[in-house]
Amino acid sequence: MKKYMLSSLSALALTAVAAHAETVNILMEAVPDTTYIQELLPEFEEATGIDVNLEVVNYAEMHTKLVPQLVSNSGSYSAIVVDFYWVGEFFKAGWMQPLDDRIAADGFDTSVYVPAMMDLVGQVEGTTYMLPFYNYAMGLLYRTDLLEDEANKTAYMDAFGTELKKPETWDEYLQQVRFFTKDGSYGVVNQGLRPDPIAMEWSNYLFAKGGEFIDDGWHATFNSPEGVAALEDYITNLNDYGPVGAASFSFDEAFNVFSQGQAYSYITYNFFRAAVDDASGSAIVGKGEIMGVPGQTPEEGGSLNGAWGWAIPKSSPNPDAAWEFLKWVESPEIAKKRALLGGSATRLDVFDDAEVIAKYPQTTALKELLLGSHNFPTFTYTPQFVEVLGRELSLAVSGEKSAQEALDAAAAEFDELAIKDGRQE
Amino acid sequence: MKLARLDGLVRHLILAGFSASIALPLLWVLRVSLTDKLTAYRLPPEIGQIGLHNFVEVLTQYDFTRWFGNSVFVAVLATAISLPAAAMMAYATARYRTGGWPLMMMVLSSQMIPPIVLVLPMFLVFTTLMPVPGIIAITIAHVAINLPFMAWIMISFFDEDTRSLEEAARCDGATRWQAFTRVTIPVAMPGIIAAGLLGFILSWNEFLYALILGNHSSQTLAVGLASLETHAGVNIAPLAAATLLALAPVLILLPFLQKYLIKGLSLGALK
Amino acid sequence: MAHVTTMERENRRFGWLLTAPGLVLLAAVVLFPIVWAGITSFFNYSLIFPGYDDFAGLGNYAKAADDGEFLHSAWITLLFVVAVVGIQFVAGFVVALMLNDARRGKTVYYLILLCPLLINPVVVGLMWRMILHPTLGIVNWLLGSVGIEPVNWLGAPDMAFWTVVLVDIWHQVSFMVVLLLAGLSALPAEPYEAARVDGATPFQRFWHITLPMMKPVIVVTLLIRMIFAIKTYDIIYIMTRGGPGVATDLISYFIYRRAFVSLDLGEACAMAAMLLIVIAGLTAVLWRSMRQVQD
Repeated sequence: MKKYMLSSLSALALTAVAAHAETVNILMEAVPDTTYIQELLPEFEEATGIDVNLEVVNYAEMHTKLVPQLVSNSGSYSAIVVDFYWVGEFFKAGWMQPLDDRIAADGFDTSVYVPAMMDLVGQVEGTTYMLPFYNYAMGLLYRTDLLEDEANKTAYMDAFGTELKKPETWDEYLQQVRFFTKDGSYGVVNQGLRPDPIAMEWSNYLFAKGGEFIDDGWHATFNSPEGVAALEDYITNLNDYGPVGAASFSFDEAFNVFSQGQAYSYITYNFFRAAVDDASGSAIVGKGEIMGVPGQTPEEGGSLNGAWGWAIPKSSPNPDAAWEFLKWVESPEIAKKRALLGGSATRLDVFDDAEVIAKYPQTTALKELLLGSHNFPTFTYTPQFVEVLGRELSLAVSGEKSAQEALDAAAAEFDELAIKDGRQE
Repeated sequence: MKLARLDGLVRHLILAGFSASIALPLLWVLRVSLTDKLTAYRLPPEIGQIGLHNFVEVLTQYDFTRWFGNSVFVAVLATAISLPAAAMMAYATARYRTGGWPLMMMVLSSQMIPPIVLVLPMFLVFTTLMPVPGIIAITIAHVAINLPFMAWIMISFFDEDTRSLEEAARCDGATRWQAFTRVTIPVAMPGIIAAGLLGFILSWNEFLYALILGNHSSQTLAVGLASLETHAGVNIAPLAAATLLALAPVLILLPFLQKYLIKGLSLGALK
Repeated sequence: MAHVTTMERENRRFGWLLTAPGLVLLAAVVLFPIVWAGITSFFNYSLIFPGYDDFAGLGNYAKAADDGEFLHSAWITLLFVVAVVGIQFVAGFVVALMLNDARRGKTVYYLILLCPLLINPVVVGLMWRMILHPTLGIVNWLLGSVGIEPVNWLGAPDMAFWTVVLVDIWHQVSFMVVLLLAGLSALPAEPYEAARVDGATPFQRFWHITLPMMKPVIVVTLLIRMIFAIKTYDIIYIMTRGGPGVATDLISYFIYRRAFVSLDLGEACAMAAMLLIVIAGLTAVLWRSMRQVQD
């Protein structure tokens, strides 16, 4: 009898404690999905009694802010979002909690995620540490009105003898870039700022040329002839067919050139597709579309994949509450609601949902883009590699090094880092 | 007579030219704050749709009032704590050579180190002292940042002229402390005000410690405004509005300090 | 030396009493981090595997001294500091002198020049990127309307360096003005009266009275501005990220990357220590010259 009373009293006490407002603090970046989640939060707070604080910080500062929080034994964030390039680093340092047990216990279905997403921001070496949150694969943004214009069509046919349409191969795309650079308009606008904009954008060029970053043994292969050709294409596009100053454009400057109607194309993150239709910032509403970056043949693509994943840090003060939040925010209903508000999908059930497609017809194009995309080499030293690659690419663009020299220098540093990480023999 | 008028004209031309070069970019920012991103980047520049919507957006959709309040709290408190301490330290060094130059060097050297290597140990210290470092941690860090600079600035204002005034006061029976507070400080006021102002500004603009040591509720303006640079680009129109909103109250308050500033500034009018 | 008088002993004690609060405050906050950073610089300490198992002695220092990128960064920083401090000092002094003698409108000018200082560096960088956008920004458009080709403000290596210098000047020149003005307004009136009586020209008054009497304030202003200039990193981060190429890779930004991107804290601490030694050396030289004037 006593035992029964004791256990029920303690159960009551625990429930009381749990019901008392617990707070989940999450550090997030200012991506559009953050706003959509913020809007849906009251549902979660009502259902579980747990308060959620989303602390929003500029991307550049996230890593700086996270590192001390993760190194310390007790941080203030219950859950965090992890950019794909930090995954290797966080894994090696042991900063994330494995989620497999929780997934199994609660029967959470991870098979709905696009496999490329799970590879990038889900599992690391067989253990699940993250749930994919947000996809930002890169694609080719292009002007549909310029392609449909009759005068352009005739001029193109006269000049090249082929039809003016969505480019099916990389070379066809480059030809269109040259064609559209006239009368004060540009064929392309690039984001040449160090280190991520230029490194990420150039990765598309590399894949489009049929190049790869590494071989199976983790040796750098991006300084191959395909890589050098890709860099030369990039330099030509930036200097000859784009606006002045693109060498230091970040996505903001470059997108503004595109959205003011000054350029035909812009290779960038897929979420900019939605910004094209935002009248408060775009002069080309309804005139832009996105497609996967074309490759060497119509079947191949050159898009670079990118994503964020949810994780629970080792230093989390309340991992259980954090897991409750993750389960909720990545549940099929909420994932669909986020997508309907305009969020970026990572799961097949959302991509194939009829309502989502009806509201945002570009959803299918975005799914194709994602399925055809390539991953950047992610290991412990990815951020450092991105820094090195960005620097070398920028030196090549400003003419201080030849394309081959720049890529060789970056490859040499990559090999050093890969050896340091124990991945290369 | 003519020369004096020419002199005055030249002076005002220089001052006006300088002020224009400072003010023109700010006027452009004002223009951007009244329109939207599309109009901000449209050339040739057109009037577009003017409205106060950005100001409203900043005040309602972002935690602007909290960021502003936090920044004011931290800057005022940090300056209020470090100014007296710095003034005393400066006076001791200037008048009594306390610690000599090694001490002053040591004090300043704490600021010669890039904060980036100090922020991690500081964070670890604060997390052991308090569960969630927040606004108090930031204020304490700012006190330590301001102090060395304020002390060094004030040293040069405690000079020979104040020494003779102090000696006169001491002859009249004042203690060292009384001489310091009743004679030296009023005379050195321009320097003290300048140091206080600069300390306030340093704290107001400080980013790294506010970022690392802060949390959700303690976000200062510097950190909060930076989040307007989103993954999808800069929200330039709201950012312009927020910049002006942050500037306005401080400029409105400054005339209240006018009494001291003008007194200090007009002491120079005799040259 | 004669025996220490009671007066001197009391003076000394008073001096230490005054210094104590400031020292305690400082020590409590920064002493541990500085010592920690110093110790860490002698170890191979990476944030991925934090631990003091791998003693490196002077290894990190040697590595930094050998690192071409680090040395280049130091060189760019030197150029930047000289340009920024030099130009701001001259411009700031001229404005301070003008403002000192102005009879009307002083408050208005003062309030205007305080504005840039109250805007934080991140926002300053973002605003100027908008204004200096090569094809969508107002400056190039205005230049274009008088027939000048669009200037590649941030995309060409040499131009980017000067653009960053100019933005920093816009942002910080008022710092010089505030300090120098405070110094000018604290100058005594008698020497000037005497000089006027003797018929000295304004230039003579400036060169023989103002400059020498202002020397302590000038030295401190230059010193503090120099230290801040060396620590510049927000403007670079927002406007150029050290590029294009490596044209604007200032040392504070370099050390920041070493600490928080590569997570090699040991190396970053060694670099910070080296920077400290250089700055401390420069400070000692300037401080000595200031002391000479006061004696």
